Amino acid sequence: MNLERLVHIDRRIIYLLIALGTTIPLLLPIGLPVSSTPPVERLFDKIEGLGQQEVVLVSFDYGPTTAPENNPMAQATLRHCFTRGVKVVVVALFPIGGVTMAGEILEGVAGEYPDLEYGVDYAFLGYKDGAQAAMKQMMGNAFAEVFPQDFFGTDTNQLPLMRRVVNHEQIALVVSFSTNIIGEWWANLVNAQYGTPVAVGTTAVSAPKYYAFLDSGQMLGLLGGLKGASEYEQLLIDAHPELMTIYQQAGIYTAMKGMDAQTVDHAIIMLFIIFGNTVYFLVQRRDARRKQHQA
Amino acid sequence: MFWKLRLPLLLTLFVGAVPIVTFFLTEHTPVIGPAVPFVRDRVESYMVIIAGFALLLGVVSVVQGSIRKIERRRPGWPFAISLLTGLLVMGAFGILSAMRVGPFQGLLTAPDGSDTPFYWMTRNMFNPLQAAMFSLLAFYIASAAFRAFRVRNVEATILLAAAFVVMLGRTPLGEYVFSWLPGGERWLPQVTDWIMAVPNAAAQRGIIIGAALGAASLSLRVILGIERSYLGVKE
Amino acid sequence: MVHGTARAGWLGALLLTATGVARAQIAGGETWYEPTRVGAPLVLFLVFSILVLVFIDRSRKGAQLFIRRIAGINAIEEAVGRATELGKKVLYLTGAGSLEEIQTIASLAVLRHVGSLTARYAVDLDVPCKDPLAFTAARETVQEAYMQAGRPDLHTSDIVHYVTYDQFAYTASVTGLMVREKPAANFLIGQFHAESLLLAETGQATGAIQIAGTAEITQLPFFAVVCDYTLMGEELFAAGAYLSREPAMLGSIKGQDITKAMLIVYMLIGILLQIFGVHALKDFMSINGS
Repeated sequence: MNLERLVHIDRRIIYLLIALGTTIPLLLPIGLPVSSTPPVERLFDKIEGLGQQEVVLVSFDYGPTTAPENNPMAQATLRHCFTRGVKVVVVALFPIGGVTMAGEILEGVAGEYPDLEYGVDYAFLGYKDGAQAAMKQMMGNAFAEVFPQDFFGTDTNQLPLMRRVVNHEQIALVVSFSTNIIGEWWANLVNAQYGTPVAVGTTAVSAPKYYAFLDSGQMLGLLGGLKGASEYEQLLIDAHPELMTIYQQAGIYTAMKGMDAQTVDHAIIMLFIIFGNTVYFLVQRRDARRKQHQA
Repeated sequence: MFWKLRLPLLLTLFVGAVPIVTFFLTEHTPVIGPAVPFVRDRVESYMVIIAGFALLLGVVSVVQGSIRKIERRRPGWPFAISLLTGLLVMGAFGILSAMRVGPFQGLLTAPDGSDTPFYWMTRNMFNPLQAAMFSLLAFYIASAAFRAFRVRNVEATILLAAAFVVMLGRTPLGEYVFSWLPGGERWLPQVTDWIMAVPNAAAQRGIIIGAALGAASLSLRVILGIERSYLGVKE
Repeated sequence: MVHGTARAGWLGALLLTATGVARAQIAGGETWYEPTRVGAPLVLFLVFSILVLVFIDRSRKGAQLFIRRIAGINAIEEAVGRATELGKKVLYLTGAGSLEEIQTIASLAVLRHVGSLTARYAVDLDVPCKDPLAFTAARETVQEAYMQAGRPDLHTSDIVHYVTYDQFAYTASVTGLMVREKPAANFLIGQFHAESLLLAETGQATGAIQIAGTAEITQLPFFAVVCDYTLMGEELFAAGAYLSREPAMLGSIKGQDITKAMLIVYMLIGILLQIFGVHALKDFMSINGS
């Protein structure tokens, strides 16, 4: 057995197995169960406990590249708000594709609730450049100063919802779906300065750095990557079983379906690590024996 | 020397020091109070205007470099042709869409709800290409993990063990491992959360504090004119 | 003259801030100062600035300051030497950040050094840029480095070139360049995001020696695992000072290190006091009651 070849296995074999491990579970879902963790539960409980006239500010701070992770969490959170009757104000602060993501997701989810009325139950204010400055202005001064018109060109003050939502005092919770630093700014600037509860849904790569903010109390909850999104979807279905029909639709991408692929991929990586270390030990042992013989 | 060195350094000192001072003050500060909100909220957004002009310079560099590559048939010159084609087509579509000329009615959807040409290209070409590049990460992480996670020494073993626990704990697999024990399905996810919330957060905080102090030190050197590498001159 | 003006201006700013805060309360309850920012942030800012200025002063007057060895920075010459032996180019990436990002400025300091080495050894340098402002600054830096090294003849306008502003289009371009041209040495120094592993892993596959440096904590693990040397966080910011060995720069690093030592002591004392139910130190560091 050529151990050297096994130690330096052609990486294309790894790529092929990862490709199969990703594709097959998406085509043939396994349906692995998901249980929730406290950072996700805290956000869920917060929204579940909000009253029907309370307002959540949802900020789309990601672009198309992280849509597979951020879209499911954004959809689940919006569905939760709309199901509870909580009012939602949507903004986008990410320059490349943020407003596109916000428009697509909001249009899709709002379409599932025919009784919702734009301008009364939810409002889409659009994109603003200079994230930090925009946050400080809209939360500290007034939304209408940063967004004099909504995304569709209507005067913000003409929307019934925005007539009573002036600044941070009328916002019960900020939820930012972010790809990197903008979520951090919401926790650092808005929660620190105004005390508004902030929760962040972010990619798995960025999630580790947010635990520091979670521990210090600057963040209320954290949805970390596809796992966090799948936990939220599960909590949502458990609390509101009528939403199961949406999540069971064929051809719809959900975090729970994505977790099947992620689980298989993690298993493949772990098997390769075990394989690599086994071969590494065999090589070490063989080399030690050779040295002994030579001595 | 004044225009190339002294003036930029004086500007740097002024532009660097003013936001720091106004950070602690309010609009009620005597004399400079009215300028405080302006400095705090508006100045940052002026960077966008400066970057816009620099972007023109960048586009000129790309076009010049690509044309030279094609003329001299340097290795990879067909890619230069595809680059110029993409640049010209998307650029033209974008400008015409913003000016609402002919079929180019806006950057997103047309008044009748259909995709504008620019948006169609964004959704059907640009976004999938971006997603394809981003998805390469999954493959590269697998090959990097295979190569890096070897039991070479104590630290590498601890790293490997932590990686295993987190990889298992962040998927439903982690719940199956000990599910045969009462309450066992929560163990690995809880250990994973502990690893993320305690040692990981502690290490990250340490690096954040060190990096923040390093950044502050470098910023101070830049503001005081000690560090001048960004100007391209030494003395 | 500029240093003297700068320091006088800086001390003046410190003084203005301190007196403004001291005379803060005016009629009607409105304050000169931001209540959430005065306290720990101001004290830390003042202590840090004063320490840095003191050590810069001491260093200029001839005090010998010890800076520990940083393997990644020492390996820069080795990496460029390897490229010279193999007859291949050196690839330098300044990262995804704009010039307003301090990591990019730190990267330019290292680029200057790399540029002077490539000029001296007459090896090709390639600096593809993502940000237009960083591109203009990098162009000036490399040009100056080649002139200072006495080899303006080797400098061409193609060395530093702009690619694109889009993250993954830039990554696709650079990884393609790595695979086609197989540089012998890759420098990935600056602010990176998700493209870090794509770039580093592709470089590793082509057999290049790789030196990375970033303060992005989410990307540090990828660089640490894949690259030969990694400058982590403050090591990146100290690189310029480490390479130039200028007294003023070394003094600022010393001031920064003393501040960090003071913070460590503060935290240890704070932890002990917390255990005994005394929250004064923790409350002083809190912002807005968090």
